[in-house]
Amino acid sequence: MMDGILDLQKKALEELDTIHDRNGLETFRIAYLGKKGLVTTWMKKLSALAPERRPEAGRLANQVKMNVTRCYEEAKERIALQKEKVESFLDVTLPGRRFARGSVHPITKVTQEICRIFVKMGFRIVEGPEVEWDYYNFEALNIPKDHPARDMQDTFYVSDNVVLRTHTSPMEVRVMESQTPPVRIIAPGKVYRRDSDVTHTPMFHQVEGLLVDKGISFSDLKGTLTSFVHQMFGYETALRFRPSFFPFTEPSAEVDIRCVICKGKGCRTCSNTGWLEILGSGMNDPAIYKFVGYDPEVYSGFAFGMGIERVAMLKYGIDDIQLFYKNDMRFLRQF
Amino acid sequence: MRVSLNWLKDFVDLEMSVDDLGEVLTMAGLEVESREPLGGSLQDVVAGKIVSVRSHPSSEKALFLCDVDSGHGIFQVVCGAPNVEVGMVAPIALPGATLPGGLKVKESRIRGEMSVGMLLAEDEMGLTDDHMGLMVLPADLAPGASVVDALCLDDSAFEIAITPNRADCASVIGIAREIAALTGQSLRRPHIRFKEGDRPINSLTSVTINDPGGCPRYAAGMVLGVELKPSPFWIRYRLFISGIRAISNVVDVTNYVLLELGQPLHAFDYDRLVENRIVVRRAKKGESFTTLDGKTHSLNSENLLICDAQRAVALAGIMGGLNSEIYQGSKNVLVESAFFDPVTIRRGSKALGISTEASYRFERGIDIEGVVAALKRSLMLMSDLAGGEVVNGIIDNYPSPHHRPLIEFSADKTNRFLGTTLSGGTMARYLSALGMEVEREDENTFQVKPPAFRVDITRDWDLMEEIARLEGYQRIPVTFPPIRASEELDPPEIFLGDKVRALMVEMGFAEVISYSFISPECADRLQTPKESPVRSFVGLLNPLTVEQSVMRTTLIPGLMAALGTNFAYGEKDLKCFEWGRLFLAQGGEQLPGEKYAFAAVMSGLAIRKTWHSEERPVDFYDIKGALEGFLDGLGLSSCAFKRGQTPPWYRPQAAALVTLKGIVLGTVGELAKEVVKSFDLDETRVFAFELDGSLLLDHAFPETFFKPLAKFPAAIRDVSLVVGKDVECDGIQKIIEREGGELLESVSLFDLYEGGKIGPAEKALAFRICYRSKETTLEGRDINVLHERIIGKLGKETGARLRES
Repeated sequence: MMDGILDLQKKALEELDTIHDRNGLETFRIAYLGKKGLVTTWMKKLSALAPERRPEAGRLANQVKMNVTRCYEEAKERIALQKEKVESFLDVTLPGRRFARGSVHPITKVTQEICRIFVKMGFRIVEGPEVEWDYYNFEALNIPKDHPARDMQDTFYVSDNVVLRTHTSPMEVRVMESQTPPVRIIAPGKVYRRDSDVTHTPMFHQVEGLLVDKGISFSDLKGTLTSFVHQMFGYETALRFRPSFFPFTEPSAEVDIRCVICKGKGCRTCSNTGWLEILGSGMNDPAIYKFVGYDPEVYSGFAFGMGIERVAMLKYGIDDIQLFYKNDMRFLRQF
Repeated sequence: MRVSLNWLKDFVDLEMSVDDLGEVLTMAGLEVESREPLGGSLQDVVAGKIVSVRSHPSSEKALFLCDVDSGHGIFQVVCGAPNVEVGMVAPIALPGATLPGGLKVKESRIRGEMSVGMLLAEDEMGLTDDHMGLMVLPADLAPGASVVDALCLDDSAFEIAITPNRADCASVIGIAREIAALTGQSLRRPHIRFKEGDRPINSLTSVTINDPGGCPRYAAGMVLGVELKPSPFWIRYRLFISGIRAISNVVDVTNYVLLELGQPLHAFDYDRLVENRIVVRRAKKGESFTTLDGKTHSLNSENLLICDAQRAVALAGIMGGLNSEIYQGSKNVLVESAFFDPVTIRRGSKALGISTEASYRFERGIDIEGVVAALKRSLMLMSDLAGGEVVNGIIDNYPSPHHRPLIEFSADKTNRFLGTTLSGGTMARYLSALGMEVEREDENTFQVKPPAFRVDITRDWDLMEEIARLEGYQRIPVTFPPIRASEELDPPEIFLGDKVRALMVEMGFAEVISYSFISPECADRLQTPKESPVRSFVGLLNPLTVEQSVMRTTLIPGLMAALGTNFAYGEKDLKCFEWGRLFLAQGGEQLPGEKYAFAAVMSGLAIRKTWHSEERPVDFYDIKGALEGFLDGLGLSSCAFKRGQTPPWYRPQAAALVTLKGIVLGTVGELAKEVVKSFDLDETRVFAFELDGSLLLDHAFPETFFKPLAKFPAAIRDVSLVVGKDVECDGIQKIIEREGGELLESVSLFDLYEGGKIGPAEKALAFRICYRSKETTLEGRDINVLHERIIGKLGKETGARLRES
């Protein structure tokens, strides 16, 4: 008989461990602790015992009832806690209520980056007209009307002597005309050429740079532009200076960087040369000093210019120049 | 310019690989744009002797069955060439060979007959464009001999970009000369030696120059009794590589010498020249002339002409005439070798729209001292190839011989300018290698006389460039200019532009960049009236298309195009902006006005459906809110929005002026339906604003002063008013502010209610008013008095009544 109650306790406690919800718990309560429950029923049987055995059996039975009741209460608490935990679950992986960000055009981004580098080197940003006198765009840059160098750029004309500037170089003349040396300027802006195909857009962007001072040498040009290339494309980027021709610089130098796509092995982007043209530059030709009244025996300096689209294409690996002006959000949102 | 490597080797020894040569030229300023091996794919082509020829039994076309001794056996080859004959030696490609252009030669059956390999014409080997018949190889060439070896076809073509200053390099000898200078080799001059006949040239012709400015030198020579026929292979091959079509031996010689020496020549049929003489003069206005391509041109005094006694026979330096050109029956040839003024030729060629190999070179300046040598070279080649007799002597009309400049050169100055430490001796060596006469006065100072073909060298700076080039740019040191402090500010436009972008990006707008040119038709699409400033376009004289023919006067069309791009692939919820210039015609002798403008557009949904929100389309208050946020960022939150003369592209009910102290900064509104439709954006509502950049520049970023924080508590009162629908919120706020005076700290609208118990012509507006004193804690009683007074005023001035709850 005594063993019976202990078996009952064991069975009850084992069953409790398997209960995980309120319904199960209620069923348990009714089954064991309810008015007709097993524990209650068993206690009722105590009266049938011999009187001398009753006290001990009563103690034991009470002990069992208390144990089962306590464990039941614990299970109740455990189940309530568990329920609370599930019901108040916060899914931290749900998307947040975002503040939508916009995007800056990649041309703007690259222009800002180029300007930042040169401003750090003491250059001042200037701007000028996009519709320009033939004089500033050509004549004063040593490109007279009947010079073959005019063939290098296809020009949009507004009138006989007004053009859409074909490069940012007119800013060199405008700045020198308005101030005496030393000069250190950088001039970003839109330029226009009458050319539209897979690799050309009729409008694009350039940055022009000009430095005039006493004692400036070709080696200073190399240093300044080497530093720029390193800051823009990384210090491991190899570069080379190659003779070229611009009517307003002498000597003139084209600056090539190691192809960023193939690292010099030769690919379609670099036409298998391993090099990419990135900048035009040169020492200021004394002929342009004549137009602005600088003395070439006292002052020397250099100028450079680069196409921003080209820099952006290389920097971001963009393979189609037309994308810059289609304003497709799938493109713009990447920057 | 495209040249054959073997041609260059005629004049200079090359002791380097083809790759290295490309690198040397590129790094000296003669950029090698491409390099192509020639003859490389002809390794499997051998000489084949034709042993027998029979007609193809089952072909109506003239096909032959040939037995060809290929050196490895005799094979039957089917061939359609008209010149095939027994005993002839011709190139044959055996099965397995790949021809230029990718054709794989296979054993095959042609109309039932076996053909083992292929007998070849020159064009099939990529050597010339000749397809008249099989290429005829020397009859003594052993069957099986390599064609590449026999014809010296182990060659490469170099495509070299010639910059406008280096006219002297527009010839094989020019490039060879440069290679010689760069590599320390010596230059071999072309061979010139020929027999002259007895008849003196002066008894046969004369040259009169009526315009010595346009024609400073004119030389002429003659060959009598030529026989016109095709040129030998080696001439046609070299012309072909350089992109010139072979015509006949006489004409080919003039082109060959043009490529070889850079001197354009012209061959006249002597007998077709009236009075057999030459006169150089300007054209008369309206004079017409037919060039040898059959086109007739109307001339003016810009054009320089070569004439005979009566009429023009050539456009000097550009193209010969139909009336005097060499033809199949020509017997006697007069060869012109002249120097024409570069500007004259350029103007003439531009005016007529004709650019030729000759005009290209004359425009850039040829070697005036090489005129006679080129003439003699052509007379030699012509008599070699076409037979005939070179007449005695030449005519060389050269009234005022060219003076080469004498340049004073300082080694020290050069080193300072380049940042180098080269010795005077090294510099002198470089200059001499380039053909300059160098006279050294001392270690530092030289007198330098450049050769006549270096028309680009007139000053000591030009010489410094040559020193840098020969030293190699890579060997010039790398230094930095000294840093100088600058007090100057960057232009405010740059600063403002960057600020505009930052603000708009924060609010979720994407920056776009549109072309500055638009279609003039945009003004119609925007419904602007005739006299609208939007129509005062700056037009282009030579636009690419009408769609890009005028400079923009508003940013709206560009933004509409951007919407269109994205609509096309189904993206309609858009927010974008542009900061850029507008162009306004000024008239008179001044440049157009350029000023910055700033515009933004919104379309589609303002809020998309998400797990936490329902979707909502964009409306007027979204664009206005963006604009308010933007203005606040520039310190312009005091801007007001007013009805007024808004542009015609807005829906009149939903448009406002943006004003600041009475100045109109811009406009905002919903675009009219028809406008949206005219930009091919159907069924869409588009909201936009556009502001004047220069006015923003004037007013943005007012100085900021600190206001002390409030010390006393505020009293908040809410008031709900019913007013007519047409009563503007702003007007009510103004009255509250005015009446509230010193004690009113702020007033804001917090609810708008229409419908329900409110009549259809009315709306209910609820304001929260915040009262506060700077000196004391306000008593409830005082506030109530003020509050009641304000409500009273509102009732009187706007008809507002309190909303019953």
